[in-house]
Amino acid sequence: MKVSLSWLKDYVTIDVDVVKLAEALTMVGLEVDALVDRYAYLDRVVVGHIVEIAPHSNAHTLSVCRVDVGNGIRPVVCGATNIKQGDLVPIALPGAQLPSGHTIQVGEIRGQVSEGMLCSEAELAVGTDSSGILLLPGTATPGIGVAAALGLSDTIIEFDLTPNRSDCLSVIGIAREVAAILKTSLRYPRLKLPPGETPIEKITSVIIESPDHCPRYAARVVLDVQIGESPSWLQERLHSVGLRAINNVVDVTNFVLMEMGQPLHAFDFDRLAEHRIVVRTAREGQAFTTLDGAERTLNSDMLMICDGKGPVALAGIMGGLESEIEDDTRSALIESAYFDPITIRRTAKRLGVNTESSYRFERGVDPDGITKALDRAAQLMVETAGGKLASGVIDNYPRPIPERVIEVSVKRTNRLLGSRLNQEEVISYLKSVELNVAPLDKDRLRVVAPTFRVDIERPEDLMEEVARLRGYDQIPTTHPLSHVVASPQDKKLECRSRLREILTGCGFSEIVTYSFIGKDACNKLLLPDNDPRRQMVSILNPLTEDQAVMRTSLVPGLLATMYRNSTQRNEDLRIFELGKIFLSPPTADRDELPEEVQMISGLWTGARYDRTWHLKGEKVDFYDIKGIVDSVCAGLNIKGLRYTPLDSPGFPYLRLGHTAEVYAGDELLGAVGELTHEVLQNFELKQPAYCFDLNFDRLVHCMTEKKRARPISRFPATTRDVALIVDDAIEAQGVLDYIDGLGEELIGRVEIFDVYKGPPISRGKKSLALRFTYRSYERSLTDSEVNRIHETMTQKVLKQFNAQLPRRSA
Amino acid sequence: MRYALCSMRSEATDALCAMRYAPCAMRERITKSMKQELKRIEQEALDAIKVVSGLTEVKTLKARYIGRKGVVTTLLRRISSLPPEERPDTGRLANEVRKRLEEAFEKALQAFEADRGEIPAVALDVTLPGRPLARGRLHPITQMTQAICEVFQRLGFEIVEGPDVELDYYNFEALNIPRDHPARDMHDTFYISENIVLRTHTSPIQIRVMESQSPPVRIIAPGKAYRVDYDISHTPMFYQVEGLMVQENISFGDLKGILTTLVHQIFDEETSLRFRPSFFPFTEPSAEVDIQCVICRGAGCRVCSHTGWLEVLGAGMVHPAVFEMVGYDTERYSGFAFGMGIERIAMLKYGIEDIRRFYENDLRFLEQF
Ligand SMILES: [Zn+2]
Repeated sequence: MKVSLSWLKDYVTIDVDVVKLAEALTMVGLEVDALVDRYAYLDRVVVGHIVEIAPHSNAHTLSVCRVDVGNGIRPVVCGATNIKQGDLVPIALPGAQLPSGHTIQVGEIRGQVSEGMLCSEAELAVGTDSSGILLLPGTATPGIGVAAALGLSDTIIEFDLTPNRSDCLSVIGIAREVAAILKTSLRYPRLKLPPGETPIEKITSVIIESPDHCPRYAARVVLDVQIGESPSWLQERLHSVGLRAINNVVDVTNFVLMEMGQPLHAFDFDRLAEHRIVVRTAREGQAFTTLDGAERTLNSDMLMICDGKGPVALAGIMGGLESEIEDDTRSALIESAYFDPITIRRTAKRLGVNTESSYRFERGVDPDGITKALDRAAQLMVETAGGKLASGVIDNYPRPIPERVIEVSVKRTNRLLGSRLNQEEVISYLKSVELNVAPLDKDRLRVVAPTFRVDIERPEDLMEEVARLRGYDQIPTTHPLSHVVASPQDKKLECRSRLREILTGCGFSEIVTYSFIGKDACNKLLLPDNDPRRQMVSILNPLTEDQAVMRTSLVPGLLATMYRNSTQRNEDLRIFELGKIFLSPPTADRDELPEEVQMISGLWTGARYDRTWHLKGEKVDFYDIKGIVDSVCAGLNIKGLRYTPLDSPGFPYLRLGHTAEVYAGDELLGAVGELTHEVLQNFELKQPAYCFDLNFDRLVHCMTEKKRARPISRFPATTRDVALIVDDAIEAQGVLDYIDGLGEELIGRVEIFDVYKGPPISRGKKSLALRFTYRSYERSLTDSEVNRIHETMTQKVLKQFNAQLPRRSA
Repeated sequence: MRYALCSMRSEATDALCAMRYAPCAMRERITKSMKQELKRIEQEALDAIKVVSGLTEVKTLKARYIGRKGVVTTLLRRISSLPPEERPDTGRLANEVRKRLEEAFEKALQAFEADRGEIPAVALDVTLPGRPLARGRLHPITQMTQAICEVFQRLGFEIVEGPDVELDYYNFEALNIPRDHPARDMHDTFYISENIVLRTHTSPIQIRVMESQSPPVRIIAPGKAYRVDYDISHTPMFYQVEGLMVQENISFGDLKGILTTLVHQIFDEETSLRFRPSFFPFTEPSAEVDIQCVICRGAGCRVCSHTGWLEVLGAGMVHPAVFEMVGYDTERYSGFAFGMGIERIAMLKYGIEDIRRFYENDLRFLEQF
């Protein structure tokens, strides 16, 4: 919404600086977006003094002027005939952009250099005269801006209005707020209707067939108008708010729209079949051409203004091409109506049109302003386009909009706001914006909301009026008194913060990627056809194709991030994301929400250690990323953690033989391993990458509290090492589990400290070196005791795994 | 005694075996005297070091004991004349003594050198980078969210969450935004179906919480929100934090108090706030909250469009229609709600100009936080 300061001043006396005024308007809730100098476009148009004028040597209709522009003399080629030596004229200098859009440049016209353009009133949009160059008063100094020379100055105030304040979509609406701020009164335009002759009932009629969509419709007719240009004051007002002047009849309707906020429409009365109006809904599938030339297909929910034959306007949105005011129009019917906001909004949305008119009807116009606006337009039309007003008015109001009466308590107002206002103060704030207020008792007030304030329905709305007019900054800042209640511990939050701590501690940086991805992500991950992650939640109106579905895996985001960084030559990455995936509900119920599962996934690629002068070139491998999962599970104190070779179909993007599934007992937590070559290729990646992909919700489920402390043995530990030659296929975990299962109490721990393949060990075998730590909590173990147990252990392991000891060296 | 199973024995075990099987008592005596001599020399040297008074003196002493012709060095040479089986044992002791003395002398030398500011003969290039331990960073959005949530947790607010894919009812209708309301224009919504949307704000969490618990309510709800928008200051996915407090006698002044506390804790105590009237269908009265520009301190700059103020928060008193929707007694309870964009706060706090940086995940960006 834009208004000009000078237009505002027609209705309210403004004696403060416009910057101050703008700030005050913002602080009562009408946010001012910008203050714009109305004549900024004339910055490069200055007063020029014609010091010499001579005929153009190559064109007899042109002359060449030498013009003093204050800081020098410029040659200008000109075709006008109303200028002579000594005249003061506006000259647009190179770089100036005229309202027509034309930019002035230094050029040659028929061999003569021209460094500017002398302008007419119309060319500068400061008047309507285009017959010749504008002659400036003799007192103007060459070189000063032409706006200053003409005494033109105005400021356009641009508002960013909230949708509830439809009353401020007009100059008078803004003026009302200004008056409240400045504690002055509003001057409404004086209405003086010319006497009418022909009674309107004799020449036309209005029938409302859809009163729910059109509660009120009023009309007047002006006969024998003379279509032409509007007077300059009217054009100037329209220009100032960015509207184009069209002709005097249309300009008047636009003027009243901006002045009072009531959209009006003028029909060419003679082109209305049977000279009458019928308001009804359209026939399904009917075609209609609006005055912008677009053919639109209607449906039966859309409200139409029709004549005796068919539609002539899309009600409240746009007129039709057929009944438009044209140069030969002789009589006009002016429509002023109240249309149902929802009806207008639905139609405008459906047809994808948004006009000054629909914008206001959607938000609600003033039902009592209908006839005022109609009268104002009729008056101005007769003034500017001549003609005779038909006497009387048609005002069909089948569904009166009820008056809103609200009771509000001053005490409750103070309680909600935290203020200490007395009843008088509350009344004066409410009255300042034309609310009709009367006290019911010492506390309560009876308020009748004015019809233009469609946003006021409840006591709270009045409390807001009081607060905003008093100023939010005047309400004391306090602190709530509250009961001290501890919120319950949340295991998810606990798990999340522990995970973040562990992973950043391991050198992993957190990434956040969009929740939506491309439809092809599942193909890229090689997910089988029956994988539940292929049932993606689709967005009906995605921004782009690669943001068209909700993700069902975090892995594509990790890989896309790896790709993005690789193009920036960040080739060593340790990243993780903690976020939701979205699984479609199994049923076809359209109103069922998807299952949102939280995942934690990470990726490691490139160097094992940050590259420095100490360490060079070691690459990450499976055991590095597995170590991260170990740390995560240890940090969450997950019981029964175990890894098994990849076996289930859930991780087709990970490489067989280089991937482990991660279990806590029988619960599958996810997988850790190397991404397959094919998947990497699908994401245009070249270097190996390792990833873990774990279900966060299951981690939370398996997470346990910190262990209870155990006493530390006072007695020394003894270690014994043994190397086993076993089949390559034997899994280390199996050996450790077997020893664990033997339940020997004196074994403190068993660890694998070396794995070796190659000579002298025969092919198909490997050497697993184990270190046993023996310890008792009750006594020092003797060598012989330890040796005896160790011998027993060793023999059992040898037998169980069909293992040998290495040949003893000499 | 040996144990056949032990294929990899430690040195210590070997030494232990050697000692235990020393064959001859006489040899032991000779060895013993050399060992005693070594111990005596060690003690003598250590005592001498304690009383030296200068660098030169330390150097002289060092030469006397462990120099090429020093006492210990000489003794070491004599070990070769011992019987073979005793050599290892005595040799080890001699080497240990020598090592201990070297350390003691080095320490003394360093002490005097330090006093005189002398540079030791073998110095490290201490300007070479240290050996790094990788350190991961939390995403700046996470850090900012945590900082905001922590302020409210200290104030006794509980953290809650809700679904990203949300019913139209929770996202709009229960928040007093009916289907054909112009306020829907404020939300460019991603639709999943007619009745399911990607939540356009975190406010639906308010409704879910109020539906499931009665007052008093004190919650803070961080999460993702989605709108059809993409430019230098908008991404189709972004983060918000929503706050809600409902009980008896909560006032607009209290809302001002809580938000002032938040801004002072996230920015600083000097940052002033400005509350101005606005409109949200689910609050009444509603407010936009501006903070004094953190870049120019209110003087006016490009970031604040020369106004000196930055819009960071939307807030207001919970609309009675919302309370009616969840079945709260509007006569008895009042409350406030507020919401803010995390990116906006993080951009101001960290000086980030383009919101899209957050979701590009360029490590060169992430590693700055
Ligand atoms: Zn600033």
